[in-house]
Amino acid sequence: MKTKSRLFVALDVLLIIMMILPLAVAIGIKVLITPPSEGINIAGARIIYTFDNMPIQPLVITESQVNSWLIIISIFSLCLYFTHGIKVKADTKRQHALEWIVEKCDGLVGQNMGEYFAAFSPFIASIIALSAFSSLMCLFGLFPPTSDINIVGGWALLVFILITYYKLKCGPWHYIKGFAEPIVILAPMNLISEIATPVSMAFRHYGNVLSGTVISVLVTTGLQGLSNILLGWLPGFLGEFPFLQIGIPAVLSAYFDVFSSCLQAYIFAMLTMMYVSGAFPAEDYFKRKEKKKNKKITTKEKLEVI
Amino acid sequence: MQTLDVISVNLWQILISLLNLLLLFLIFKHFLFKPVRNVLKKRQDELDSKYAKADETQAIADENKAAWEEKLLTADKEADTILEKATENAKYRGDKIIEEAKQQADSIIKVAEAEAMLERRKAKEDIKKEIVEVSGVLAEKMLEREINKDDHRAIIDSVIEEIGEGDD
Repeated sequence: MKTKSRLFVALDVLLIIMMILPLAVAIGIKVLITPPSEGINIAGARIIYTFDNMPIQPLVITESQVNSWLIIISIFSLCLYFTHGIKVKADTKRQHALEWIVEKCDGLVGQNMGEYFAAFSPFIASIIALSAFSSLMCLFGLFPPTSDINIVGGWALLVFILITYYKLKCGPWHYIKGFAEPIVILAPMNLISEIATPVSMAFRHYGNVLSGTVISVLVTTGLQGLSNILLGWLPGFLGEFPFLQIGIPAVLSAYFDVFSSCLQAYIFAMLTMMYVSGAFPAEDYFKRKEKKKNKKITTKEKLEVI
Repeated sequence: MQTLDVISVNLWQILISLLNLLLLFLIFKHFLFKPVRNVLKKRQDELDSKYAKADETQAIADENKAAWEEKLLTADKEADTILEKATENAKYRGDKIIEEAKQQADSIIKVAEAEAMLERRKAKEDIKKEIVEVSGVLAEKMLEREINKDDHRAIIDSVIEEIGEGDD
């Protein structure tokens, strides 16, 4: 086997450091800005900086924003690390893993959205990665950005824009007509369901992650109380130590933090695929295209005749 | 430090988050999917070209094989025709040689016969002469005293002549 050049290894190490560094920075920020604990504390993200002179609303930079950016840097480094030294003749595990990921992603998108949306696979991959990594941040005791409604709301808004864009592919008239189906009276309902789509997506994701955190905190605090009641008679230090807090919250964390995080990411991606591909009236679109083509041809023929 | 409420909607934050997702999408597109797709495409191209080459080589090999087989078949035929021709030739030549030999033999026989005939004739003549001489001598000896020589000769000659004519 060929030994890699020193520069190659150095770059690899640098990229790995770039992957881990954002996490360390996030933990550092968290430690710096969090005041000493005062018992049960369920709140939104901590505000780091506020720009007051913005229109409509003050622009606040919170933990969730900062953590998102750090995650993006981390993922960016991961991408660079994976694609570093990629070759036509794959001979590293790294490249095999990378190709597996890309092919799986393409497969998932192809299966759920069809040929026309093949270009969506990086988008779906980025949704899954951002959502999963954001939610998994709570494993390090950091604030998971996905438990902030604004973050998930932004994603849902983007999905809503995409849905509307694809619905408008057949022209505005087709789009408006779509609301009057199956009968005109249902138009308000259709409108509501249209708006409900992004809202429900955002709330589903945000609610799942936040509720996991809330339940974890509640159970942990409850276990402390229970421990005090059951084991309080033990002498001295032993009586004060919350024995029941050992282990049990970890099980909850495994479910809410690890399983739920990945599941929610997957669900969000699946819903995005469903909604976007469902919004695209493929048949009508291709018919319309055909018509336009025919029209063009006929006008051309006319011109030729003239 | 302040915290946001658990549910607090901030348009700017939503916008930032939207842009974040777009940014990550672009990162994924350009730094993850593009290189991998390029590599996969290159690999596919390489494979395709290799397959095409293999097909080409196979086609050439098949062609060669067919040509050789055809050649072999024709070679067999050619060999057959050559053999046939050779046999015919040999037969023809053999016949010719035999004929010539026969002719030669005939001519030799004829010559020999002619020679023999000549020889016989000569021998006859010789014999005739000898007989004449012998008979002459004999007659001379027998009739020396009685007949004169000339008469004697004439008689003998006539006799011999008669004999010779009758013989001839």
